[in-house]
Amino acid sequence: MIIQPRRDDHLVIGKYTGKVIVGVGLLMAVPLALSLVLGEWSVALDFVISSAACFICGFGLQLLCRTERDLGWGHALVVAAGSWLIATLLGALPHSLSGHEGSYLDAVFDVMSGYTTTGLYLIQDLDHVSNGLNMWRHLLTYAGGQGIIVVALTFLFRGSPGAYRLYVGEGKDERLLPNVVQTARAIWIVSLGYLAVGGLVLAAMGWALGQTPLRAFLHGVWVFMGAWSTGGFAPQSYNTMWFHSLAYELVTVAIFVAGSFNFALHWAVWSGNRKELRRNLETVSFAVTLSLTVLVATVALSRLGIYPDAVNLFRKAFYQLASGHTTTGFSTIYSRAFVVQWGPLAMLATTVAMAIGASACSTAGGIKGMRVGVITAGFVADIRRMISPESALIRQRVHHLRDILVDSPLLRSALTVTVAYLTLYGLVAIVGAACGYDFLQAAFEGVSAASNTGLSCGVTAPAMPVVLKVVYTLAMWLGRLEFMSVLALAGYAYAMVRGR
Amino acid sequence: MRRRVLRVLRCALLAATLAGLVWPAPVLAATGATLASLGSPSSGDLVEHPAQWDGKVIDFQGEAVGEVMRRGDSAWLHLNDDAYSRKAADDIALAGYNAGQAVWAPSELAAQVKICGDYSHRGDLVHVVGIFHAACPEHGGDMDIHAVKLEVVLPGSPIARAVSGVRAAAAAALSLVAAGLWLLWRRRHRARGRAA
Ligand SMILES: [Zn+2]
Repeated sequence: MIIQPRRDDHLVIGKYTGKVIVGVGLLMAVPLALSLVLGEWSVALDFVISSAACFICGFGLQLLCRTERDLGWGHALVVAAGSWLIATLLGALPHSLSGHEGSYLDAVFDVMSGYTTTGLYLIQDLDHVSNGLNMWRHLLTYAGGQGIIVVALTFLFRGSPGAYRLYVGEGKDERLLPNVVQTARAIWIVSLGYLAVGGLVLAAMGWALGQTPLRAFLHGVWVFMGAWSTGGFAPQSYNTMWFHSLAYELVTVAIFVAGSFNFALHWAVWSGNRKELRRNLETVSFAVTLSLTVLVATVALSRLGIYPDAVNLFRKAFYQLASGHTTTGFSTIYSRAFVVQWGPLAMLATTVAMAIGASACSTAGGIKGMRVGVITAGFVADIRRMISPESALIRQRVHHLRDILVDSPLLRSALTVTVAYLTLYGLVAIVGAACGYDFLQAAFEGVSAASNTGLSCGVTAPAMPVVLKVVYTLAMWLGRLEFMSVLALAGYAYAMVRGR
Repeated sequence: MRRRVLRVLRCALLAATLAGLVWPAPVLAATGATLASLGSPSSGDLVEHPAQWDGKVIDFQGEAVGEVMRRGDSAWLHLNDDAYSRKAADDIALAGYNAGQAVWAPSELAAQVKICGDYSHRGDLVHVVGIFHAACPEHGGDMDIHAVKLEVVLPGSPIARAVSGVRAAAAAALSLVAAGLWLLWRRRHRARGRAA
């Protein structure tokens, strides 16, 4: 029997969704301030309109939904998915008002891509976009990487069990500090610390590479945001190829690899546990799969002979693969170069890297190294059992902050989510192929969207079929929230209609 | 065992990266001998058929965007040959993605470019003659054009961005409503705080 949600359920969900939306309105203060400082008056107006719309929805919902109940697990999941959806719809206002989007759907696609740290975009004439809107694009991806719920938790919530449930609903589960609000603040302190350092380093490099101080500063901050959040947005249509610099590339790699690590790992390393970096299941898994996929791509590219020498070949292969594997999406080649120059095998290696993705509880997407590691360990245990005497007791362990026994429940949950991702990848690829795209390109682009990577081989374009825009948007949302919340929201909607 | 495999992989990665850093990049001399241009492909042609144009001298024309990044004797500029580059400054209608090519030019030539395209400018329309590289050995395998000739065909100009009266009114009205709701919300919030 499906139980129809009661009035009380609607109220608690409405109230907390309202709080998150107020958070989105507050975020718009940053691009608004920048447009005012730089004298982009009409852009500033767009942000006033958009943030006022957020406040009206946010405060309006909270006024309508007065309740003292705390969030239950079901509510939290619905609020997480629902507020992502509403935050996307409202966050798309500045994009749409800018006149750079072909339709409101395109704007929604871009904002979902930003929040989910994907990096695919439909914005047109990016090279003439205002600084204010560029700030919004990158801030979206920076805030989305930490989680917009985390943003709201930091400023607008008091710690309660419900707050923790919200945090989990957004796809994070590490509680670094006893209180979830403290954890959310810790995440922000770490992220802002890195932003200050990383942004300044990139700004200094941009300046040394010939940018004017203002542009070097803005690009430094934006590229940092795109890298740290593993988002992949950049302020020019040339993405990171704009800089033509090995040093700049290396620094961005360092930032997006750091961003793709588990927050609990950052926390452990910051608290002095350096050894964890080498022992952790996720870093080990990442190192192995990255090396293998880079190797395959390198072999494939060297057989094609498109790069003049081994060093440049490795530089290109490593950068695109590391960007893909961390689900960042920065690129130093043209999108179509994947098809025209890289060819099927190197594209396949990139697709696999994107599909696996990086660490859990980070800004990255994909299946995640943790699950790949656990499943591999389970497989190894089965083989050991097969070749051992029957009486032997095989206990396979993995290391993540502490030694964890690989038992059936752990394996089952890793496998379930992995199968869900693989199914999503498959479905999105099939839709792409059904729209008439070459299957490998459809798979590359579909995996890129669903794993929140953002590398493109040219399928994503303003002129692509509407159905594909919708499917990619949904795939980004499902992939980022790891299914549960979105399914809970769908269940909630279904129960509202059909429940008793 | 696992640790050893990892160590080997790590060393290999590190060695390759270091090799990439110190390897002397072969310097390409822009040979004046083959200056005769073999065609004027668009950036789309170059991206779609890089092998066909690789190493050839080409004509290329586009709007300089972003900035000219000077690196010693040479400079990077980015020329967009998309629909926007052919538009009048006051025409801001959409016409798809940007498209263009990176150009590496001697600094004294690049210095002719005064206005680069951004939010408030349509950039100089620049014509270059140079050698196209599908994957430039001097520049880390980037696709680029090494210009030997450069001229500004049409100087750039500011883009007028008028403030819309309708939007200003909408912003004012929405802000008023938002402020009203916020005040109401705060009063309720405080009242509840006292009751508790
Ligand atoms: Zn070059």
